[in-house]
Amino acid sequence: MNNETTTNENIINIKDLKKKYDDGQTAALDGVDLEIRKGEFVSLMGPSGSGKTTLLNMIGALDSAEEGSIIVAGHNLMEKKDFSSFRSKEIGFIFQFHNLIPNLTVSENVQIPMLETDIQDEEMAKRANKLLESLNLGNKVDQVPTKLSGGERQRVAIARALVNHPSIILADEPTGSLDSTTGDIILNILREIHQKENVTLLLVTHEPYVADMADRKISLMDGKIK
Amino acid sequence: MKFRSLIIKNIFRNKTRSLLAILGIALGVATILGLGLVTGGLAASTQQALTADAADFTVISGTSGGGGGPDGASGGGAPGGSGSPGGQQLINQTTISEIQQISGVGTAAGVLRTNVDLNDTSTNSSTNSTSSSTSSTSGSSNGNSGQGQGNFQMMYSVIGIDSSNLGLDDIVIINGTSFSNDNQVIIGEMAAQSLNKTVGDTIILSNQTFTIVGTYETGNFQDDRGIVMSLGKLQSLTGNTDMVSLILVKAANGTDANTLADTIESKYPDELSTSTSLSGMERMNNGLEIIESGSWAVTLLTLLIGSIVVIVTMVKSVVERTREIGVLKAVGWTSKRILTMIMGESLVLALIAAVVGIVIGVGIVEIISIAQLIRGIEPAFSAVLFLEALGVAIFLGIIGGIYPAYRASKLSPTEALRYE
Repeated sequence: MNNETTTNENIINIKDLKKKYDDGQTAALDGVDLEIRKGEFVSLMGPSGSGKTTLLNMIGALDSAEEGSIIVAGHNLMEKKDFSSFRSKEIGFIFQFHNLIPNLTVSENVQIPMLETDIQDEEMAKRANKLLESLNLGNKVDQVPTKLSGGERQRVAIARALVNHPSIILADEPTGSLDSTTGDIILNILREIHQKENVTLLLVTHEPYVADMADRKISLMDGKIK
Repeated sequence: MKFRSLIIKNIFRNKTRSLLAILGIALGVATILGLGLVTGGLAASTQQALTADAADFTVISGTSGGGGGPDGASGGGAPGGSGSPGGQQLINQTTISEIQQISGVGTAAGVLRTNVDLNDTSTNSSTNSTSSSTSSTSGSSNGNSGQGQGNFQMMYSVIGIDSSNLGLDDIVIINGTSFSNDNQVIIGEMAAQSLNKTVGDTIILSNQTFTIVGTYETGNFQDDRGIVMSLGKLQSLTGNTDMVSLILVKAANGTDANTLADTIESKYPDELSTSTSLSGMERMNNGLEIIESGSWAVTLLTLLIGSIVVIVTMVKSVVERTREIGVLKAVGWTSKRILTMIMGESLVLALIAAVVGIVIGVGIVEIISIAQLIRGIEPAFSAVLFLEALGVAIFLGIIGGIYPAYRASKLSPTEALRYE
């Protein structure tokens, strides 16, 4: 890890990153420069279509840029190669919609990312269940997601994102589909994880009060950081 | 959690669709298996019916050009041939011993054949015997002429052969026993039906009463309309002492029948000829080949339909799970693992279908067999057939899974996550 990072303190280094939408005309990202330190909690705000999710996907190596440079946890993401292993080890994604697999139990859903690792079956279950207990879901491990509330499902999704001990959590409007009370619970969990685990947290949100919880706020407008 | 557990769980996410797919493939497998069992059973029954120890060729009097088939009823024009039933050129029985001495001859047996007109209207029902007029005495100009001209005539073959050599002439006892003395005969299945005779009845030939002790079949229409008695008795009845119509020869193990036939012909130039025309077994095998060709055509059609069923099922499954596949990529799954997962699902689906198909196939064939809907055919169970059925299912699983699995593995994670 960190074999190509330019700055030891920064876990994310982005310079003049450019990306166009599928139409080839409209700029999704139009020269983004961004540095995020290891363990930092950063919120990313901006209106719809401003490029928030595109930037998040690029940091998570789900999408690739056309120009510029992007180095995350020492990996040069401008290289043309498979970044599955990078995502497995370094990134934990939390989506607005939990995207849990409905026919698997809560515990099995959390174990899914570990199937790409060398962890033994028993250890997988143990680790998943311990994590779920810490998120007050210890009594739900054998249930299927359809039996859970929205907040519980999002907590399962958080557990899934954390299970491989990533260095960065990318949360794309994690409270967007929840009521405010449940949303606050989720935000508190994320903040607690950030503090305890010293994990870097990049959170995309529309809500100013959510953004205010972060160490640093970044606004994106028309593919540029303001 | 094990990866294989995930694969199995995924198959039954949409139970109705998976069960329909399993049923579709299973019916294909059952069809292939059922056809294989019946075709194999047909071949086995044929072999059993025609006996494995049938003669390889027939030796008849005359030159090659005038030879008949193994049934050898027609004769050639060999010099010095004796007058015979049906105008045949007969062979002296001493020739059988000579042929038996030739190296490579396993068994040689003489057969005397003639035709008779059994006047069915004279059947004495009270004694359950049949009065008949024989027309097949020596000197008749042809085997089909006889007494009772102007009346309806039913010509039947009468075959004289030692009971120990019945197998050489494809004669298989299907009811009763073989004859053990000169007063007993066995009757062909078709003759028994047309004469309304069965084991224990009597029949009169040349004013002599014979007891029917068995019924037989040969697979040959002409011979199945016949009566078989001991060679000596028929020789006596027809006045052809020590003469036979033909000699059946079976080559010894390891001897080429064609070479042996050539040897015999060269030893008796202008006197004997041999015929290796299609035996009953070969004729039947030709028929079986046609059935097997049809069976393969059905198999190919099944493979095509089965492949489409698997492809449609798996593509629908992948489309439904597009967003989920995006999440799997986001959490670090490689394209290879996603491809393996979908291929695994396709294979397991096909394997389950194979098991169901084998059960259905065997069940249907057993029911048909027990209900005797196809008489005389025992299903031919073999490990090879089951492995073929399994192989077909695995083939379907692979072919049907390739495209959906490839498609899933190549999904762009961002597009997959955006999928509604």
